Amino acid sequence: MTAVAVDGLRKNYGSHEVLHGIDFTVAQGEIFALLGPNGAGKTTALEILEGFRHRDGGRVEVLGLDPGSASDARELREQVGLVLQDIAVEPYLTVRETLARNAGYYRVPRDVDAVAELVGLHDKRTAKVKDLSGGQKRRLDLALGVVGNPRLLFLDEPTTGFDPSARHTAWQVVRDLRDSGTTIVLTTHYMDEVQALADSVAVLADGRLVESGTPATLGGRDGARARISFVLPPGTTTAELPLPVREATAHASAADRLVTAEVSEPTAALHTLTAWAVHRGAELGRLTVERPSLEEAYLDLTRSFEEEPSQRAPRTRGRRKIRSRS
Amino acid sequence: MLHQIRYEQLSFWRNPQAVLFTFLLPVLFVTIFGAVFGGDEKQDFYFGLSSMEYYTPTIAAISVLGACYGQLAIVLSTRRQTGMLKRLRATPLPAWVYFVGLLAHCVLVSVVDVLLVLGVGSLYGVAPPAHWAALVPTLVLGAASFCALGAGVASLVKSAESAPALVQFIQFPLVFVSGTFFPVHADVLNTIAGLLPVKPFNEAMLAAFADSGGFLWKELGILAAWGVLGTLLAVSRFRWDPKPE
Ligand SMILES: Nc1ncnc2c1ncn2[C@@H]1O[C@H](COP(=O)(O)OP(=O)(O)O)[C@@H](O)[C@H]1O
Ligand SMILES: [Mg+2]
Repeated sequence: MTAVAVDGLRKNYGSHEVLHGIDFTVAQGEIFALLGPNGAGKTTALEILEGFRHRDGGRVEVLGLDPGSASDARELREQVGLVLQDIAVEPYLTVRETLARNAGYYRVPRDVDAVAELVGLHDKRTAKVKDLSGGQKRRLDLALGVVGNPRLLFLDEPTTGFDPSARHTAWQVVRDLRDSGTTIVLTTHYMDEVQALADSVAVLADGRLVESGTPATLGGRDGARARISFVLPPGTTTAELPLPVREATAHASAADRLVTAEVSEPTAALHTLTAWAVHRGAELGRLTVERPSLEEAYLDLTRSFEEEPSQRAPRTRGRRKIRSRS
Repeated sequence: MLHQIRYEQLSFWRNPQAVLFTFLLPVLFVTIFGAVFGGDEKQDFYFGLSSMEYYTPTIAAISVLGACYGQLAIVLSTRRQTGMLKRLRATPLPAWVYFVGLLAHCVLVSVVDVLLVLGVGSLYGVAPPAHWAALVPTLVLGAASFCALGAGVASLVKSAESAPALVQFIQFPLVFVSGTFFPVHADVLNTIAGLLPVKPFNEAMLAAFADSGGFLWKELGILAAWGVLGTLLAVSRFRWDPKPE
């Protein structure tokens, strides 16, 4: 079952087109991450799915409903929960009152105390919202997103500004929600968040979808060549290394003489290398074997969009402005 | 609906600034006016009333103006700016329930306000309203119309910072030409002010208090027309989202 289907979605603000026809689908019960640099159009895409903004083209289906249609709006609000990029909570109510008020808006809400417990605000239930810390307000915001017991939850940068322990707690909440059957669509620019949470991921850059897949396959990194790195033993030159020349593109940096070889068959290459080293009685310092990280794959994917000044220049200013307001 | 009104009340009573402005200001006004202009003798200057028989109803009227028009315009634009309205829009709560909840809340606050002003007035020897049957519908209609105008003004302003300025910019001259703080004896001015929203409300309040008064159909009609105008403006221009598309 698909929870969200997006097909050729386009959006412009005035004459400035910010989504140039994007496609993706979100399966029911999964955590889907929309990844991309600031200004890529993540919030815009999310808010179109949430029914806050109109689309200028394409087809969008959320739980079988059309967020752009007024007649579907009420039912959609009943079944969808969301957390916006900016915190917005009534300052003078207590945590419990805030939750109870919103619970009253839904047909079948969750238990208010259970929701407070879920986000770790159980002992803050009688505190006024204005006395909460930023992170606690954010968690209250998340609690408001789920108090209606939604089938689908949208989270726009849910952990931006969290300290590391708060982020891990939030991740666990999101995973628990997924495990209880809620579909989750989130945006983020943190790679570790994608790694920790996402079942599938789509990368948005400059209003275009540059790739979609799973965190493990992003940027083709599962099929990418492995990298073997080590410090060149004293008294040896790169020419003496035993790695097959065709398979290795080695280079030594002058300072610490760390060399890296990219190989397609790391097991055999490593065997040859270590046999050679043992035979010579040499130690291979800082020896590692690794695949490109998710972060590297992501940076590779989005780099072309960051490094074209002629294309970027006119938009940079507007983007900064939006960021500094949020 | 009751659910919504309850939480509006909670949010209001916990906000010291809102409570102070809404209740303390009218009480202060009527107390000061009583101390400055007090006296039992009927005067032509006050259209044959004593000074406090005149000021008690007009200050009751301006307290309703503040509780409905001013408060609502500021509350709505602040809630929009902070994203609370947008957040609310994401819940299944129908917009009309939200607004009727706000209206009911404003009417309740207005009733408290009017009773407070009446209480202080009675300390200065002002008799209770002669026509309760006229006062109640006048109060409700006035509150509703000024709420609509408040929502209309909230639809016009872009940011919460500019809301109080626009509210005052409209209210200040209106209050002065409508005889709230001193009776106006200029015919032309009275004719013009009589077509604006504040003077008809003052007149209707005065009539509800005076022995010879009662229910002022024409004035209440004008007030209702302004209410409809405010509603139309709000319905056509209201935004939930702090950042326009
Ligand atoms: N309300 C708006 N009006 C005009 N331009 C906007 C508006 N919101 C966003 N933009 C522009 O659209 C682009 C995408 O923004 P956004 O969707 O917020 O990106 P992200 O959430 O990925 O950071 C940016 O260039 C931004 O300046
Ligand atoms: Mg964003």
